[in-house]
Amino acid sequence: MKIAVLVSTGRHPVSGATVLSRLEAQAIRLAAGLGEPLGLHAGPEQAVLREALGQGLVRGEHIVVPDGVDPVPALAARLAATKPDLILAGRRGQGGDETGLVPYALAETLDLPLIPDVVAMASDDEAGTLRLDQSLGRGALRRVLVRGPLVVTIHPDAPAPFAYAYGQARRGTIVPLDAAPGTVEGTGPTVEERPYRRRPKLVKGAPTGGSAAERLKAATGEAGTAASGRLLVDPDPDEAAREILAHLRQIGVLAPPTRPSIP
Amino acid sequence: MSRLRRDPRAERAAQQIARSDGASPRPRYDRTQRATGGRPRRDPRAERAGQRVAGGVRPRYEIGQVSRGEGPVLAPRPQAAPEAVAPKILILEAPAFLIAVVPDAAGGRLSAHDRQVLGAARTLAGRDGGVVILAPDACEGIGSAGADRWVRFGDDAAAYDPAARAARLAATLGALAPRHVLFPESLDGGDLARRVAARMGAPLFGNAEVVAATGVIRPARGRRVEQRAMPGLLTTVAPDAVAEYGGPPREARLLDVEAASMAGRTGPILAATRIPADPATVPLTLADFVTAAGNGIRDLDTFRRLVPALRATPGASRVLCDAGLMPRQTQVGASGTVLAATCYFALGISGAPQHLQGVAGCEHVVAVNTDLHAAMIERAGLAIVQDAQTVMEALLRRLAVEADAGEQVA
Ligand SMILES: Cc1cc2nc3c(=O)[nH]c(=O)nc-3n(C[C@H](O)[C@H](O)[C@H](O)COP(=O)(O)OP(=O)(O)OC[C@H]3O[C@@H](n4cnc5c(N)ncnc54)[C@H](O)[C@@H]3O)c2cc1C
Ligand SMILES: Nc1ncnc2c1ncn2[C@@H]1O[C@H](COP(=O)(O)O)[C@@H](O)[C@H]1O
Repeated sequence: MKIAVLVSTGRHPVSGATVLSRLEAQAIRLAAGLGEPLGLHAGPEQAVLREALGQGLVRGEHIVVPDGVDPVPALAARLAATKPDLILAGRRGQGGDETGLVPYALAETLDLPLIPDVVAMASDDEAGTLRLDQSLGRGALRRVLVRGPLVVTIHPDAPAPFAYAYGQARRGTIVPLDAAPGTVEGTGPTVEERPYRRRPKLVKGAPTGGSAAERLKAATGEAGTAASGRLLVDPDPDEAAREILAHLRQIGVLAPPTRPSIP
Repeated sequence: MSRLRRDPRAERAAQQIARSDGASPRPRYDRTQRATGGRPRRDPRAERAGQRVAGGVRPRYEIGQVSRGEGPVLAPRPQAAPEAVAPKILILEAPAFLIAVVPDAAGGRLSAHDRQVLGAARTLAGRDGGVVILAPDACEGIGSAGADRWVRFGDDAAAYDPAARAARLAATLGALAPRHVLFPESLDGGDLARRVAARMGAPLFGNAEVVAATGVIRPARGRRVEQRAMPGLLTTVAPDAVAEYGGPPREARLLDVEAASMAGRTGPILAATRIPADPATVPLTLADFVTAAGNGIRDLDTFRRLVPALRATPGASRVLCDAGLMPRQTQVGASGTVLAATCYFALGISGAPQHLQGVAGCEHVVAVNTDLHAAMIERAGLAIVQDAQTVMEALLRRLAVEADAGEQVA
């Protein structure tokens, strides 16, 4: 199976140094379970591909694209030429604009289906189909059976990446490619940038336009469920059990009884 | 000219109240009667009352006004008692423009995040604009969350075909022609927004933390910088960044939108099954419903039977973990796990500050404790002052009865 892993230039969250983003390292690990992962990067530098080789890539392809140019046309042209069975990307970039739009734009240009937020992959018995486990948050999964070729984005809950191997990074090859001429400057919305400013945390339960007193109430838990709390002093244990089960069901954390009502 | 000489005795005698028979033998005087002649006596209380401005709950006084104390400056209007009338529904007849909101509405319920997105849409809409929500049928409470219009948009939850959903959404948005479209930046909402953006070729402003008509702001480069732009067509709103709508409920009138129905092209997805999280193995940080035991529980076997019966994830206070009665990874609190659960069920836990820190993010708390004054009882939405042992047994009994009844029906 031919698998392409899209490798972008990540920035380390603390030092700001150029690194391979963790999600893409996780993507390489998932790909290694299915076949030989090949890397594809569009950008001015190839350092990040070298690191990706150390994390388990077999070969890397580097499309030389100047900084600040939309990588999607270059990536799409190369992927259309090589026709991999599976294209893996991170759900968001790391350290760049972090929009997560590149995989979607690629899927649209190549007219491929896209399955987001995958944490596990396996090939199914039927040839050409894949079984993907998609994260739904809170530990729940959706198991999707799909027919390739397709684009898949990886969720952070996927297995941890392989350890970095220096020898592998030295031995691996990186093929430089020239971008097809005619790539245009990225035309995103015009944005103005300034240093990040932390904003006050939203107080849960305080309404918009509420007074300071209302915000204080919400922050100290006097509003909301605690304010309208029910207190049962020395109830009969069975009565208490009935109350608790009814309350849990009303919140929706406990499944209703198999029969609608119990006398 | 000399002043008239006062005769206090005579004055008092004049003030004495005539006694009717059978009343108390003590003489009583009416001291409010002004003594004739001399300076009038001041009554500071009455003056103060006279300065009071009528109306309002808090007393307000007009200090500059000097009154003789013949009563308030203005007669107080009878206080409108806070009646329990249903708040008036705001109706917007002809909105100048529309702001569309596409909530997740998982299971037909608006999540807190969905309501925050509606709040953001309300601030963008201002007074003249209308907020239109694209929600499935069963969704309730959309009016009070701030929606003026409602377009039926939903599909059966069992089938998973996000590409078709995005195509239908793009067609509906084309027919509605809203000025802005807002999505929650959640797993599903973020995915749908990016699909629609790729399909419509429109720029997307993702993960906005500030939403206002004057500009939207999002973090970038690992929160080193923030990017600001004028609100565009498509925006996703970060969780817990924008306040919910707090005004009077709105109409949520049903709009009929003719969207070209999508031809049934079979997608590449052959099957999709939902695998719910296994509460017994899911990490405590991800758990949705945690049942925890504290030092008040002596019989942990009953507790260990109760947890799977409730389909909950087990938790414990530090005392039990230190004693080796519960594994360390179940410890809830400052030095254990900080929960993000929907519901926390505390059995025999006093609610020490270090423990409560771990529960601060939980939406609902249920507590059973023998001590009425325990902090956990104060924090709980449903508090039961009773022996946890008997309550646990009663719960198990009741769940067993329900399971039996279910089996008989099946
Ligand atoms: C630095 C530091 C960090 C800490 N971090 C944590 C932490 O992360 N997590 C944590 O949990 N603790 C932590 N603690 C410990 C914390 O201060 C408390 O000691 C602990 O939480 C108390 O646990 P408890 O409520 O189970 O026990 P207790 O305080 O002993 O309370 C037992 C409760 O059970 C009730 N009870 C007794 N019998 C019954 C019965 N039959 N039925 C029902 N109720 C009954 C009692 O009324 C009482 O309220 C920390 C302490 C320190 C100093
Ligand atoms: N220049 C690039 N070259 C290769 N892959 C990229 C590039 N930019 C983004 N990607 C891929 O797209 C994902 C999402 O990136 P982004 O859209 O920038 O958030 C990343 O995790 C990468 O897998």
